[in-house]
Amino acid sequence: MSTTLLEEVPPPRLTPVEGVKQGLQRRQARPGGRSYAVLRWTGAMIFAAIVLAFVISLLASSSQAFAHSGVSFFWSGTYSATKDIYPTGIFIVGTLITTAVAIILAVPIGVGTAAFLSEFAPKWLASPLSVLIDLIAAVPSIVVGLWGLLVLSPVFAHQVEPFFKKIPVLEWFFHGPAYGPSMLLAGTVLAVMILPTIVALSRTALTSVANEDREAARALGATRWQVVRTAVVPGARTGIEASVILAMGRALGETIAVAMVIGNNYALPHSLLSPGATLGSAIINNFGEANPGLDKSSVIGLVVVLLVITALVNIGGQLLLRRRLRAEGAVA
Amino acid sequence: MSTTVFPAGADDVADAIGTRRELVRDSARRSLARRRYWGRFAIALCVVAVAVSLAPLVALVAYTTSRGIRAVSWSFLTHAPTPPGIPGGGISNAIVGSLIIVGLAVAMAVPVGTMCALFLVERRGRLAGALRFAADVLTGVPSIALGIFAYAVLIGPGSLIGHFSGLAGSFALAVLMLPIVIRASESAMRSVPRDLWEAGLALGVRRSRVVRSVVLRGALPGLVTGNLLAVARAVGETAPLFVTILGASLVVTNPLQPMNALPYTIYSLATQPTSAAQQIAWGTAFVLLVLVLALSVVARFVSARLNRQAR
Repeated sequence: MSTTLLEEVPPPRLTPVEGVKQGLQRRQARPGGRSYAVLRWTGAMIFAAIVLAFVISLLASSSQAFAHSGVSFFWSGTYSATKDIYPTGIFIVGTLITTAVAIILAVPIGVGTAAFLSEFAPKWLASPLSVLIDLIAAVPSIVVGLWGLLVLSPVFAHQVEPFFKKIPVLEWFFHGPAYGPSMLLAGTVLAVMILPTIVALSRTALTSVANEDREAARALGATRWQVVRTAVVPGARTGIEASVILAMGRALGETIAVAMVIGNNYALPHSLLSPGATLGSAIINNFGEANPGLDKSSVIGLVVVLLVITALVNIGGQLLLRRRLRAEGAVA
Repeated sequence: MSTTVFPAGADDVADAIGTRRELVRDSARRSLARRRYWGRFAIALCVVAVAVSLAPLVALVAYTTSRGIRAVSWSFLTHAPTPPGIPGGGISNAIVGSLIIVGLAVAMAVPVGTMCALFLVERRGRLAGALRFAADVLTGVPSIALGIFAYAVLIGPGSLIGHFSGLAGSFALAVLMLPIVIRASESAMRSVPRDLWEAGLALGVRRSRVVRSVVLRGALPGLVTGNLLAVARAVGETAPLFVTILGASLVVTNPLQPMNALPYTIYSLATQPTSAAQQIAWGTAFVLLVLVLALSVVARFVSARLNRQAR
């Protein structure tokens, strides 16, 4: 009796937990159930492949030049017994000088502007100016180059460069004829290019310093300027340095705007007024006409040299910042 | 007994305290005057810095606008260039070329970049760290190197296409945009609260569905801003196009053929000595400037709206 009764009750098909489990299994077994994972992995793999292909293809297409000249490609760049067309050392010197000029011009002005916008300016003035500078940061470098070539270059040839030549002590840096296109002009154009970047990033670093720090300094009797110097700038130092490193990377790697205003002279510059060449300008000017083979390979070799320099600057900067961050962490 | 007894000569001590107080007050006053003076001097220097930095930037934009506006007209935008010496002609070849090249670059970079960003958000570990590092390094690579890369892979001897083409330029710009898109998308997706992910997953919703309806939707303004900024950067890049697209004086719509683009036109005209060519260069620069500024204004607007919603 009782046994028959028990037999009549159908056994429960599934417990709720098992039901959910089965549903999940069904879902995952369905074709396309794992498509999301496949999608993620595809994106990551494509990106990894591009990065690898970038490194390999540049090394492969410049290998001929490096095989021919060896390590000496980094300074002499000689690729044929009769002519020395790619004097890498001169390009490296030009790149470093123009970048140095740009940094010397842009960093004090840029950080000063950022300090004014973040600390001293009233809000009605600071916010529109900040927006304006952020927008100008987006101006393409080709437009800056065009302006440098057609507007700034005549001004430099007739007013700025003769003026510098008259100053007694600076004479040593500024001698020789004033053509207009020169290391100085290239550095100035680069400075105009990187200025908005420095202002925008330094301002962000300065405004993100905690207000308590300002108030503490103020309570100790510091003047507004002393607050900035002793409390705000040290707190924002890492961010400001990062902005300078980023700007330096852009100045080192700029090609077109520099090629338009540097004068493209392949000789060791003897003054800031002499026309010169940078790695970027040399690549742009020679790549089109270079013959396939060793010639083209040498130009691509210049790209590799440029990459090595920018990588050194970036890695050096990263190390500096990391050490600074660790030191700050230890203090705190 | 316990009354306070001043030592002999208490008046002398009070006098000494008084003079000392005077001394401190005096030196503080002098120090404050000096500190105020230097403070004013430093702030004045900052004001000078603002003036010096604004002058060239504003002059650059104002000059380009005033020269460019004179060159731009409807026929300037809709006609192909005329041969040198013949007046008239426009830059429709460059506008069409830029739109197609950048459009294709967006079509390549945005899906791959978004998928890769999802990977970085979901996984932690050595591979994700390496990819993030690669993206950071690639952001700092000079753009000419990306152009040469596209040349080596797509144009040079033994490569995929074998000749100069708009597509090669798109590829170079896509590689340029990719790290920007990846890092911007990753941070936008990370800003979606972890609770929302977990709430979605706890409801038993499939992971892909959570990502689609919760994460991508929540991160949408950030994604749009990041992508627009990447596009604004790509539109103005000249160096990668210089070694890949070769230029064309007619309107070309087939991306497998050599094409023209706005920055390329500016560069090739700027170096010509005739004032007619320079006039067209200014006009083109103005069009490019308007395009880039419009993109960044829209990006800014979207992110401002995002911030308002978050509050």
